[in-house]
Amino acid sequence: MHELSIASSIVESVLEFAESPPPKKVLKVILQIGELTCVESEQLGFCYTAIIKETPIEDSVVEIEKIEAEVVCSHCDYLGPPKYWDEAIAGMRIATLQCPQCGKTTEATKGHECTIRTIRYVEQ
Amino acid sequence: MIKIESSPDEIYDIELEHSLLEANNELAKKNRALLDKHAITAIDFMGAIGSGKTTLITRLVEKLKDRMGVAVFNGDATTSSDADTIAGYGVPVVQIATINGCHLDANVVGKACAKVDLGKIKLIFIENIGNLICPAEFPLGSRARVVVVSVTEGPYMVRKHPHMFLGAQLVVINKVELAEIMDVSVEELIRDVHTLKPDLQVIPTSCKTGQGLDEIVKAVLAVK
Repeated sequence: MHELSIASSIVESVLEFAESPPPKKVLKVILQIGELTCVESEQLGFCYTAIIKETPIEDSVVEIEKIEAEVVCSHCDYLGPPKYWDEAIAGMRIATLQCPQCGKTTEATKGHECTIRTIRYVEQ
Repeated sequence: MIKIESSPDEIYDIELEHSLLEANNELAKKNRALLDKHAITAIDFMGAIGSGKTTLITRLVEKLKDRMGVAVFNGDATTSSDADTIAGYGVPVVQIATINGCHLDANVVGKACAKVDLGKIKLIFIENIGNLICPAEFPLGSRARVVVVSVTEGPYMVRKHPHMFLGAQLVVINKVELAEIMDVSVEELIRDVHTLKPDLQVIPTSCKTGQGLDEIVKAVLAVK
C-alpha cells in the first residue's frame, strides 16, 4: 500500500497550496502517473478521497493522467514506445525494457512519472 | 515553473511539476553520497516473504565476513528474529522495524547508516521488507538492487511483478533444488526475466546445496 503514502504526500502539498493566501477552494488535482511505476491509480484515488475528509480540500477530486512509457536504446539508437509483452498475463500487457528494434536492453525515458501536474481552484 | 491561466468563470489552473517520490529520491542520493565517501557498496535485496532473502544474506555474510567489513540492515515488519540470526555471525546488524510499512525507504536506511561505524565497513547488505511491489518505487541509495525469487513461489512470479525486475541489477532464482518437486522450470523463469530486461544477470541458487553462491559472491564483489 505505497499508494497511501503517496496520497498523503499529495494531500500535504495540496493543503499547503490551498491554505496559502489568498484563500482558495481546490476543485481538482491532476496527477501524472507513468506506466512503469507500480502505482495503482484506482487505489491512489481511493486513498486521496479517504484522507481529505474534514480538511479544507474535502470537496476536491483527483484525476489521473496515465503517461505511456518511452525507451531509448544505446545500441541501435531506437527512441519510442517500448516492446510490450502481450501474452504475459491474461488481459494485461507489460512494458518491457527489451528494444523493439534490436532486442537489447533499453533505458526508459518516460513512464516513471509520479507527479502533481495541475491544481484547479477558485479564489474565495 | 509556475504558470497560471485564468478562464472566464475565474477557475485557475496552477501547473506544477511536483514529483511525489522526490523526497525519497533526494534522501537516497544523500545516502549514496555518504556511502561513496566511505567507499562502501550497499546492495539491496528485495523479494517476497519466504523467498529466502535472510538465508541468502546469511550465506553471503559467512563467505565474506573474513575478507572485508560487512554489515546488514534488516528490514522486518515486526520481529527481530532475522536480525538475531545474522547477528550470530558477529557482524553489525541494524534491524529496521517498519511496523506497518510495506517497504524500506531512504530515510530509515539513512538512520541505519548512522548506527554503524562506517569506517570499518566495505559492504552493506540491506534486506528489504518481504514484498514484490512497493519497494520498487523507493530507491535506498544502494549501488545495486537484487531480486530474490524462489521456485516455491510458482512459475509466474517474474511476469506478475515486472517492475521489480525492470529496476534490478541482479536476479537470484532461489531454492532450485525444489524445482522438480514444484514442477517449476528454472529456464522459463530465466526466459521471463530476459524478456523484461535482456542483459539482466540471473543466478540460479540453492542455499541448501550451495549451488550458485560463489557466483553471487563474484557478482556482489563486481558491483561498481
